[in-house]
Amino acid sequence: FLTELTKLFQKSKSSGTGTVRITMKQYDGQDRHRPRKNRQPRRRAGGSGSGDATSSGGGECGCLIRATLNSRKLSTVVHQKDVNRFQLAFSSLLKGNIDGLKKRDKKAAAAATAAASAAAKAKAKAS
Amino acid sequence: MTIAETWEQFAQVVDMMFAEDPKRCRVTVSYQPAQGVLVLKVTNDHVTVKYKTEHAQDVKKLEKLTSQLMRQLVSK
Repeated sequence: FLTELTKLFQKSKSSGTGTVRITMKQYDGQDRHRPRKNRQPRRRAGGSGSGDATSSGGGECGCLIRATLNSRKLSTVVHQKDVNRFQLAFSSLLKGNIDGLKKRDKKAAAAATAAASAAAKAKAKAS
Repeated sequence: MTIAETWEQFAQVVDMMFAEDPKRCRVTVSYQPAQGVLVLKVTNDHVTVKYKTEHAQDVKKLEKLTSQLMRQLVSK
């Protein structure tokens, strides 16, 4: 998944159009809709036809992560065992690829000058 | 759909929403390299909050937030 995600980011940069979207949510292993308990003759409504909300009994949930770019889609489920490893790799991936954003020039400069002046003052005091 | 002004606001809302109903809550991150914009969206199918940014320092915060969320999602 991660290598494909890297490719996605690179593609979006080079093509210059479209956005990369990443979505996260809880996943409890339910792939299909749960059938209705009372079979009533209803017209088929498109989309979710799931019955009453049943709790999945807690614990052992995974995290579903989806990524999409224009028409290409990826997804993966992260379980508890893989969380640490995945997270490290995922965060470094995001950091490395989400560039091209503005940097806070004024604030950074102000912070830098403040730090420099504080250091200078400390030095003057010491000497 | 509300738009959060600051990161702190957004983080607060995310925590609240997740605490209420972790099954329905989801987070979306979208990055538009063409405009250099990063958008975050959090929803629980009733309420949605968005946060838009162009600053590089927010990426770090985003990363922290997403890792925290991921842990919570998996542990519950």
